[in-house]
Amino acid sequence: MATLTQPMPASDEPRRPNIASADVQLPSVRDYEQVDREIIATLHPTVAWFIGLGVAVFFLVTGIAAWMYQIYTGLGVAGYNPPVMWGVYIITFVFWIGIGHAGTLISAILYLFRAGFRTTIYRCSEAMTVFAVMTAALFPILHLGRPWKFFWLIPYPNWRYLWPQFKSPLVWDVFAILTYFTISSTFLYIGLIPDIAVLRDREKISPIRKRIFSILALGWRNSDREWRHFARAYLFLAAFSTPLVLSVHSVVSFDFAMALTPGWHTTIFPPYFVAGAIFSGLGMVFTIIIPLRKWWGLQHYVTLNHLDAAAKLCLFTSLVVGSAYMTEWFVAWYSGNQVEKDFFANRLWGQWWWSSVILYTCNMVLPLSLFWQKLRRSPAWLFILSIFINIGMWFERFVIVVPSLSHEFEPWQWTSYSPTWVDYAILAGSFGWFSMWFLLFIKQLPVLAIAEVKEIIPPRLRRGHQHGIGPSGRHLDYEPDTPGEFA
Amino acid sequence: MRGVLGAFRELDAAVSAIEALKERKLGEVRVFTPTPRHELEHALDPGPSPVRRFTLIGGLAGATFGYWIAIWVSDYWPLVVGGKAIASWVPYTIFGFEVMVLVGGLSTVVGLLISARVPRLTMMVGYDPRFSHGDYGIWVECPPEKASDAEVLLREHGAVEVRRER
Repeated sequence: MATLTQPMPASDEPRRPNIASADVQLPSVRDYEQVDREIIATLHPTVAWFIGLGVAVFFLVTGIAAWMYQIYTGLGVAGYNPPVMWGVYIITFVFWIGIGHAGTLISAILYLFRAGFRTTIYRCSEAMTVFAVMTAALFPILHLGRPWKFFWLIPYPNWRYLWPQFKSPLVWDVFAILTYFTISSTFLYIGLIPDIAVLRDREKISPIRKRIFSILALGWRNSDREWRHFARAYLFLAAFSTPLVLSVHSVVSFDFAMALTPGWHTTIFPPYFVAGAIFSGLGMVFTIIIPLRKWWGLQHYVTLNHLDAAAKLCLFTSLVVGSAYMTEWFVAWYSGNQVEKDFFANRLWGQWWWSSVILYTCNMVLPLSLFWQKLRRSPAWLFILSIFINIGMWFERFVIVVPSLSHEFEPWQWTSYSPTWVDYAILAGSFGWFSMWFLLFIKQLPVLAIAEVKEIIPPRLRRGHQHGIGPSGRHLDYEPDTPGEFA
Repeated sequence: MRGVLGAFRELDAAVSAIEALKERKLGEVRVFTPTPRHELEHALDPGPSPVRRFTLIGGLAGATFGYWIAIWVSDYWPLVVGGKAIASWVPYTIFGFEVMVLVGGLSTVVGLLISARVPRLTMMVGYDPRFSHGDYGIWVECPPEKASDAEVLLREHGAVEVRRER
């Protein structure tokens, strides 16, 4: 195996060293067999995996217990203090929806733009998207006083033939999120089919697993006809998913922007929410992918070039989000609306000043470090930064929800809000729920896309050349392996 | 279904075999490859995929249904607000768009399944697990009198294994 470090290009090459492109890809991955062997090896459970699953289930059970207590006792245990009737649950709902955005961005938008660095991180991001949306979808139900009536939002008539109000942002949410979940899950599964076929063909030990893989692979045979239609279908799904990414968080932002509440009623919310969602999702991608590449020794698949390129995207979205924060301030000042101006002054100098400081520090100041290439190529820093981004993005939603509701138009309405242990337990439970699904996924299905990784490995050719890596990190041609090995 | 299967370890060998088979017109050629390669696609020169028609029809049907359901419900039980339209197309564009994506996406998948002829209950003759691993397979569907020629041709172009199947 060649070196794991990323070779820098020769000085006479015009290409910049940190651009992941079509021909500077995975210099340490030699052939298709190595791809199968190393990626399938990640499916074997380890002690660390069992410990992680145990911790996730513990948090999940804690959250379930808190929810049971809330159902038994009433929604008052959740710390709501009128008029602050949206709290941790809605904050966490928007947080998880945001996390779910990077997956489809990486898998669909970067696919359309032919961005090479997506190949080794998109499967992980897609799975993250599906599980994040599954987590987010719980929170509107948790937020209901009578959660068993949640189906009233589903668009079908009740016993009096009354339909939901189609002009309500909550109904828009139902359509947007159900569509997003369905299309994201479909996109994930369609992309998995060729890889499941590989698992089916490689499974030698468990006939039950082989049978399950056979069913899930739908009889996939890797024929040219299948690949041809697969490529078209994948392209069209990506084309559908791209505007969907932009629409879903725009619709979520309408939950706020359609209200007349100070700090919410602004037209900047849709792009602001979309940029924030992509930013937070990229943060979570780093949180997940960096430990995985370390534990499984996949540094030669998820290379520093890939992390570097993703970090640039993260930096860009951070700048967009930062501009949105500044624009909010400008609009409040320029509008001449006294209530809006007072509200924004309260956001920075009122009782919630500390949440604004966390928000601006984590989302605007710390990501500026990514202007330095050295930090973009440091997995340790990217991981630490990603934790700050996750915290910062949760507090962004806190700053949107709580200060607005606790500081509306009339001073007699002004109040405070303090989350209770039930809020915190359910918040922790959501992380347990998400982690449990993700951990189960990575032990059953490949977290790197086997077929797509093979696509960027140079194929074996008859022309006899010594295998090796050139000074630029490009592959030299392969020598043929021993003829008849499989014959 | 009768024919000859050749297994190739090298991509350029498989491409040259496909070109020779097409030139000699020995039978319908089907290729198995662990990952899509443009070299193979150029050699096979297939027509455009019909999946796009499913996508177009599904997308148009979804957009129509999304607008229709919102407008129909508004007219079915009008919520009259002075000066405001009962059916407002601006917010209903959200339903038109979301349902377009939903139905269009799902019909794309249906198009894929129909066009690629999956799911299938049994593996077709000619398939070998090595074709999901690293090798390329060429299946030539031909009558027995042409099978010998196909075998010779596949071996000449570097097949590591050639066998007849039925």
